Amino acid sequence: MDERLERYAELVVRVGANVQPGQEVFLLPGVEHYELARALARQAYRAGASYVHVRYQDSHVRKAMIGLGPDEALTYSPEWAKELFSSMTGNAMIATTGDPEPELLADLDGERVGRALPQEIVQIRMQQIRDNSVNWCGVGAPSAGWAKQVLGEPDVERLWELIAFCMRLDEPDPVAAWRDHTARLKARAEALTDLRPDALRYRGPGTDLTVGLLPDVRWLGGGGDTSTGILYVANMPTEEVFTSPDARRTEGTIRSTQPLALAGQIVRGLELTFEHGRAVRVEAQTGAEIVRSHFETIENADRLGEVALVTKESRVGQTGTLFYDTLFDENATCHVAYGASFPFLADGEPGDGMNGANTHVDFMVGGAELEVDAVLADGSEIPLIRNEEWQLA
Amino acid sequence: MNTNGDRLERYAELAVRVGANVQPGQEVFVHGLVEHAELIRALTRQSYRAGASYVSVVYGDQHVKRAMIELGPDEALTHSPEWEKSLARTTAGNAQLGTSGNPEPELLADLDGERVGRAIALEVAEIYRQQHRDRSVNWCGVGSPNEGWAQQVLGEPDVERLWELVAFCFRLDEADPVAAWRAHLDQLDARAAALTERRPDALRYRGPGTDLTVGLLPSARWGSARFRTAGGIDYVANMPTEEIFTTPDSRRAEGTLRSSMPLSLGGQLIRGLELTFEDGRIVRVEAETGADVVRTHLANMENADRLGELALVTKESRVGQTGTLFYNTLFDENATCHIAYGFGLPYAFEGEPDEGMNVSNIHVDFMVGGPELEVDAVLGDGTELPLIRNEEWQVAA
Repeated sequence: MDERLERYAELVVRVGANVQPGQEVFLLPGVEHYELARALARQAYRAGASYVHVRYQDSHVRKAMIGLGPDEALTYSPEWAKELFSSMTGNAMIATTGDPEPELLADLDGERVGRALPQEIVQIRMQQIRDNSVNWCGVGAPSAGWAKQVLGEPDVERLWELIAFCMRLDEPDPVAAWRDHTARLKARAEALTDLRPDALRYRGPGTDLTVGLLPDVRWLGGGGDTSTGILYVANMPTEEVFTSPDARRTEGTIRSTQPLALAGQIVRGLELTFEHGRAVRVEAQTGAEIVRSHFETIENADRLGEVALVTKESRVGQTGTLFYDTLFDENATCHVAYGASFPFLADGEPGDGMNGANTHVDFMVGGAELEVDAVLADGSEIPLIRNEEWQLA
Repeated sequence: MNTNGDRLERYAELAVRVGANVQPGQEVFVHGLVEHAELIRALTRQSYRAGASYVSVVYGDQHVKRAMIELGPDEALTHSPEWEKSLARTTAGNAQLGTSGNPEPELLADLDGERVGRAIALEVAEIYRQQHRDRSVNWCGVGSPNEGWAQQVLGEPDVERLWELVAFCFRLDEADPVAAWRAHLDQLDARAAALTERRPDALRYRGPGTDLTVGLLPSARWGSARFRTAGGIDYVANMPTEEIFTTPDSRRAEGTLRSSMPLSLGGQLIRGLELTFEDGRIVRVEAETGADVVRTHLANMENADRLGELALVTKESRVGQTGTLFYNTLFDENATCHIAYGFGLPYAFEGEPDEGMNVSNIHVDFMVGGPELEVDAVLGDGTELPLIRNEEWQVAA
């Protein structure tokens, strides 16, 4: 048995999803990720899972649906799949990323690709995120295709080494290392929450953006609790502190600094212009169509839902590697997301400033030249990020 | 597209159009192992081309099942998740495709045989069994070549050679495979009709280690695997298929029966299975390997110890002609005569099934045919009519 694989899976089960004895566990891997899925199933049972469900996803099946299926199939949610996702409430879930064929859907009609979302299932999942009712974790699963995209050759072993580094598997006691790491992120998030900035100001090449913040919305980093008090780390690796901004107050332009793999296509050089909180202009070197299709077909996709700060201490950033995978790349550097907010960040009832869209897409805006300031209520500005370093005491 | 890609798509197209006979507007449910992804993707494409409104693909994973049996709690073994019950229920009125070909046939061999035998989602199995009874699903099972299966069949992981054998059994070498399948099924149906007309009271099996008499039911027909759903959709449940079969009187089996080929079951290989029957029930199970899996079935599942199917196959069988042991029931049961313990087949009856039909949550075929097996029909007046000698059909159609 592959020792590293089992340790990786154990870390994800124990620290990431933090599977509790007696919980059911739902695994949502890509079909190419079966090796990791099997290790996760073993470790979940060892952690006391009452039952492990595996729902493999296959992007070729999705491609057939988009390319050959009828229009209604694109947004259809089969009864059994709704039942599956509903059953996750109160239980644990682990999903994998790492697209073995990132450009698989590139030759399809971008409008259909953008529309292909099982609406009712997305709503069930978004509700679970709003209620914070699932202890879950997303992790990377190396494959030959993903390695080829990241490294230029299908060197799966090298990709494994990079990911093991990001996951702190080189530490003698990875669980303890994760505890220290998440404590540091938590401290940063608390400092920002205490500062109560009225807005964030982003300045950099192609970027001059002000994003309003909400007074009763917290910053979060290093994991959190479900509504029933199970501590989990939703992304592994994670290097960010983040919040949900006021979706009504965004002005200016922001340019992505890294490519983004989205629905089987690569979006490069994305540039969004905001007026009164809404994206009014979408440009990109490649893949603009898929973003436009999101904005046109999904309500409030054209408003922001997340702002996240990452520094160069990030292990992902330290690899100097572009992973072409949001889970990793968003943890390399500062990012923002259009679409759904995280209502669980609000103290009390989430207000009107929260975004209820049925999608959430992160894109990376950080880099050596990006400056991020907190704008306080009195108009004064406090530097948060300079040269990818944390500025707040 | 290369020629192998073309073969894959033609194979999938035949399974979709002739096998399940997917109708425009139907949903299609595809079940198979993660190792069958290549074929499953082709089945998905061909289903949409045939007009499917939506294709649900549900991948199974033997290693996850192994983790459950080895590490999971007792209740997990027979648990039927709500979503799987929903999946099973919504299959009614729709089409289903299944792939077989075990990449690791001995994966569960070192586990507790009793737990392996018990690991069945009972409520889910009951839903599918009801659909069999209601004839509400047009479905088809096909083989999916892979390295592990090839290794077992050929002694080396020669997937290409296994594909050639499977394609031969599938009649893909014919100029018009659809027409070839029609002619083939017509011949099987003619044999079945001739046997149904004679209304034998019993079948008598004689061969090495075998001397068994099995009673038949007056309202049971003989048929091929070409079926019609209650809604009138014709489909071929197994491809390849070379058998004619019926469901016997589960109360009347006497004697001893020895399997003539190994059987891959619950992750283990059953070799040299020998069953002794009294008053329709199996009273003794012996085997060179794997007897525990069978004994657990019989001990845990009601009426698993009674017969549910008798099937006759001759040496014209394309599967038999390959001279290959496929270690896969779908293929091996079509190489030679076989018998199944467990549930009977309700569609083998005119109208309502006879009460002598076995009702159980399981159905396991094992092979009993070979050059030395003699099968006779025992007619109502006690005379015996030879059906099979030297693997050849003896009754004029």
